Amino acid sequence: MEIQRQVPVEIFSRKDLEKALQRIKKSIWVFHLNTGSCNGCDIEIIDVLTPWFDVERFGIKLVASPRHADVVLLTGPITIKTFPRLVKALRAVPRPRLVLAIGSCAVGGNIWFNSYATLGGFPNVIDKLNELGIVIDKIVYVPGCPARPEAIIYGVAVMLGLVEQKTRYKKVKA
Amino acid sequence: MVKFVKVLPIAAKIGTVTIRYPYAKPIVTDSFRGAIEVDPSKCTGCGACTRICPPKALSLNIEGGTAILRYFVGRCIFCGMCADICPEKAIKITKEFELASEQVSDLYIDVEHEVVTCRKCGSKFVTSKLLNKVEQKLSEFSKELLSLCPRCRRVEMLSKQVYLR
Repeated sequence: MEIQRQVPVEIFSRKDLEKALQRIKKSIWVFHLNTGSCNGCDIEIIDVLTPWFDVERFGIKLVASPRHADVVLLTGPITIKTFPRLVKALRAVPRPRLVLAIGSCAVGGNIWFNSYATLGGFPNVIDKLNELGIVIDKIVYVPGCPARPEAIIYGVAVMLGLVEQKTRYKKVKA
Repeated sequence: MVKFVKVLPIAAKIGTVTIRYPYAKPIVTDSFRGAIEVDPSKCTGCGACTRICPPKALSLNIEGGTAILRYFVGRCIFCGMCADICPEKAIKITKEFELASEQVSDLYIDVEHEVVTCRKCGSKFVTSKLLNKVEQKLSEFSKELLSLCPRCRRVEMLSKQVYLR
């Protein structure tokens, strides 16, 4: 599958996007994108959508097309085979483009971080996406193997700015 | 349609199952493993955890004048093998799982160690804490050889053997 190169058309100013980001405080629509995940994180995402966790009480709804989505729930270490499809799917998402990288595969590549068949997580791909003209406005990383349903809900809350993130870089002397 | 009606009495009997997550505490069992915590006062920087870690979330690098034990939560698979293998029992498994962050750099935790320089070649090879510990354990071993890096030590030992003959 070939990757189409497109020059991004900047129709939105920074101000417009910030305004749009402020507006999606509630009722976000999510699109689930598997990029070579083991299905552990996908099952946890389904858990989130069941009546047990019932995220529709927050207005979060799963949609079938990336064109309807506000947030992309990305799982998996991004294998080389899935990268063109990832580009295609992310290009279809309207701005502001938000990505929630779920699971340790999507965040750091997990045990496949230096494998020949994967690109080793979402942080390694961002530069390549920018080259192809895909700007991602906000990314939130949710570690966990697999990430707990509560952790995913917490990640969405961090993304929307409802809670402050707990983890901070620490440097301690032994 | 008729099949759907059967669900209604079951639903009425069971009632609401939804957990009130942000307001109620999540169910966390005793055997649950979350992010690990390295106790900097106990850690000697031996690197046993970095060898056992399956995804290499823990790494020990000697950069400049310090050895840095780096823990990347984003790559951790929460297996708890590092806590089992740690000879000093410095690694503790916590129940923390709400680790979402906007920057990858926020997911790192560094533990800095002082490094010993080789007496002969001046290369940095081991943390001073680990060297002190080995020194205590091997009281009969010559102190002069301990301050040498493995390569220089080999050369020193060999040259001694040669001069004896």
